[in-house]
Amino acid sequence: MYHDQRLIMRDGMLIGALERMCATLEISPSQATLAKERYEGVGEWLAGSEDPLLKLIGIFLQGSTAIGTTVKPIGSNEHDVDLVAHAPGLGDWVEPAALKTAIGDRLKANGHYKPLLVEMARCWRLVYANEFHMDITPSIPNRSCNMGGELVPDRALKMWKPSNPKGYKALFLERVKLAPRFRVTKSFNAQDRARADIEPYPEQVRFKGLLQRVVQILKRHRDVFISVNELDQCLSPISVLVTTLASQSYEYCVKTFIYDTELELLFDVIRHMPDFIEARSVNSRMHWFVWNETTKGENFAEKWNADPKRAEVFFAWHARALSDISRLRDAEGMDGLKRHLGDAFGPGPAKAVIDAITDEISASRRAGTLGVAPRIGLVTGIASAAATPVRANTFFGR
Amino acid sequence: MGFSDQKPLTAAQQFLLLSKSPLSVGSGELGSGCFRWHYKASPTPLSRVYDARLEFAVNRSPRVFIDNPDLTMLSGGDDLPHVYEQKLPRLCLYLPRTYEWLPWMRLDQTLVPWTSLWLFYFEDWLTEREWRGGGEHPEPRDLEQRISRSRLQRRHAPRQRIE
Repeated sequence: MYHDQRLIMRDGMLIGALERMCATLEISPSQATLAKERYEGVGEWLAGSEDPLLKLIGIFLQGSTAIGTTVKPIGSNEHDVDLVAHAPGLGDWVEPAALKTAIGDRLKANGHYKPLLVEMARCWRLVYANEFHMDITPSIPNRSCNMGGELVPDRALKMWKPSNPKGYKALFLERVKLAPRFRVTKSFNAQDRARADIEPYPEQVRFKGLLQRVVQILKRHRDVFISVNELDQCLSPISVLVTTLASQSYEYCVKTFIYDTELELLFDVIRHMPDFIEARSVNSRMHWFVWNETTKGENFAEKWNADPKRAEVFFAWHARALSDISRLRDAEGMDGLKRHLGDAFGPGPAKAVIDAITDEISASRRAGTLGVAPRIGLVTGIASAAATPVRANTFFGR
Repeated sequence: MGFSDQKPLTAAQQFLLLSKSPLSVGSGELGSGCFRWHYKASPTPLSRVYDARLEFAVNRSPRVFIDNPDLTMLSGGDDLPHVYEQKLPRLCLYLPRTYEWLPWMRLDQTLVPWTSLWLFYFEDWLTEREWRGGGEHPEPRDLEQRISRSRLQRRHAPRQRIE
């Protein structure tokens, strides 16, 4: 009984810790609002152009900012905000380079954007130093895609290739809404609840959108893995591949299994990710496919087939992520928690989590609302009758 | 506020209250005017479960020790914060000779919750060797006096607090 309940409380506290960590890594609401104002401004400026290529052009978010999975890159103060500049009236008779040039020329014609503008292989970047940078990728409709897909330039800017940022976002957000099923644990049944000495149960800590948190946790772990092992940045598993596998695995797990806690679901989602990689042996060489489900012909694992080292790095990272993240459960003490979080996600986020927990306890103590409950320990807010208030005290001595 | 008028609880009363409280589940030995109580303390669900020992004798400050795990081992040999002695870690839980603890107060509602609070800040201290629980630093000379004799009944001007 003690054991059961405490395990559930442990999971709840770990979830709280991971929640806090993600909150420190993601783009802040105020930054997101600022980014929105700015890209809307860019959209208006592009749409006001006389250039017939830019007629009806519109800007919208894609990628992690669009689906709520941003993670601040290591060693940078800037979040990536990925945008699509979509020209709905155009077709593939337009050269990718021509549309990109038209967008660049229009941005350069604005004294405000010109100094912020950096040319990238297939997009334009507006750098707002220490805040974020906005990557603007040109796109046109893909008339042969029956899922409303688009075409974007390939890396060489020679050809259009299929993509579907809007469809991808819609599918991902559909999966976010899938509600997992949890077992009603023995220790939480009505009979036990009635026992005064077991109360109070602090509210169960839940992830704010488990799928989005899984993706953030994985991306951060990946960044730390690549950096700590001093691997070439270009071997790093790309975000869209990680996101796609996590979202497919999430749908599978949620529809197939029932869990005790959200933490177990999190582990299981990570564990099942490789099941959604398609592998075919062609002439005794492995070919890998992670298809974009929302259009035809976009393989997120395409680069693995040119360079098998990328697949190796993915599988090595995945195994490490699963073990590091599962190991969080073995943490003993606040100090143990910090060490485990640090190993998995770097010292910065680990410290931020411990600081937040300590600050919360200290603030509650100052406010006179700190309590202590049987089997649980300190609880902030002594709403429940079974929590004993912690009287004011002064730790004496050195 | 007639704090000093309150009647002190006897050793037997304190012992009984500790044995009934769900916060201090454990066992102990009751003597005449004194007792020892062993209980488990864990400040958070992720924390270690510590074996604590409370020693009580009439007209003395009650004392709390941690028997297991070995705190000095956890600190890797570094000096422990807010203990009276390094070798036999007795936790400094409250200001002696003030109203923070008086003999009429229930131990299961004061020293027991404070043990959890101390352990919370101790595990936090283990991360970066910074004590964030606040407190007061005694003069070394004072400390000796305070350990040698209980002065619970004597009035003393509160000293400046260090947060």
